[in-house]
Amino acid sequence: MTEPPAFDRRMLEALVCPLTQTRLDYDAGRQELVSQAAGLAFPIRNGIPVMLADEARTLD
Amino acid sequence: MADDSGKTTHFGYQTVPEGEKAGRVRGVFNSVASKYDVMNDVMSMGIHRVWKDAMMDWLAPRPGQRLLDVAGGTGDIAFRFLARAGSGHATVLDLTEPMLTEGRRRAEAGRMADSLDWVVGDAMALPFPDGCFDVYTISFGIRNVTRPQDALAEALRVLRPGGRLMVLEFSQVPNDALQRLYDLYSFNVIPRMGQLIAKDRDSYQYLVESIRRFPDQETFLRMIREAGFEQAKYRNLSLGVAALHSGWKL
Repeated sequence: MTEPPAFDRRMLEALVCPLTQTRLDYDAGRQELVSQAAGLAFPIRNGIPVMLADEARTLD
Repeated sequence: MADDSGKTTHFGYQTVPEGEKAGRVRGVFNSVASKYDVMNDVMSMGIHRVWKDAMMDWLAPRPGQRLLDVAGGTGDIAFRFLARAGSGHATVLDLTEPMLTEGRRRAEAGRMADSLDWVVGDAMALPFPDGCFDVYTISFGIRNVTRPQDALAEALRVLRPGGRLMVLEFSQVPNDALQRLYDLYSFNVIPRMGQLIAKDRDSYQYLVESIRRFPDQETFLRMIREAGFEQAKYRNLSLGVAALHSGWKL
């Protein structure tokens, strides 16, 4: 088995928050894409961003 | 997310709250992901490949185009698109992670890795800015979307002016005798094959029911026009068992 592919930073430029259509910040440590506008952090799993509101973590 | 709208939609032949549909559809595709391609081959006797090629013929991909393939699951459309375009970029979006993981495992995905992105997302709330794609495709996916009209509005939003929408979906056979024959096959044979091959009769029962619930060719054409697409047209495939709908953002 090879390592699961890492998140490609190139994708950060292509993606926006699905709720507010505003920019996202990449949190490499937590493997999350953070939408400050929506107050949500979208998980990246196996290098694939999961851009679903009901899978996102609510920011404190 | 909780659904407090009180609105309902259909899940196959069942009526369910709108808020529940996406989760249930995800259940179906999480369950069938690893057997999805082989089941498609068996169910359509290989014809889904002919339909997808017909889609590419009408679409005529050009070098450098940026494709968004929604409900792109295992990458079938994206791989074909990139092979025909010669160069370009494809983003594959699907509601379920296992379908994408399955697609990324395929050989074509390795060869074309630099031209492919994989994203889990919702067709009704796309995580992309306005006007960033040349082509939007959705193949055997729109009937699984809770509100297809909302998905069409999102398609229009993310396409650039001059961009193209193309939808491949099961449709209605415009002949009663043929439709009865086809129903006999799809309601009796497909769920049993689902049981045999994927050990999952219920998921395939859903797939068959959802096909019959989806609007016919003319109704779906009106929905595309209503969303704001121009020069909207359709072509029947295999006597209307499936149909291709095309529209332009002008």
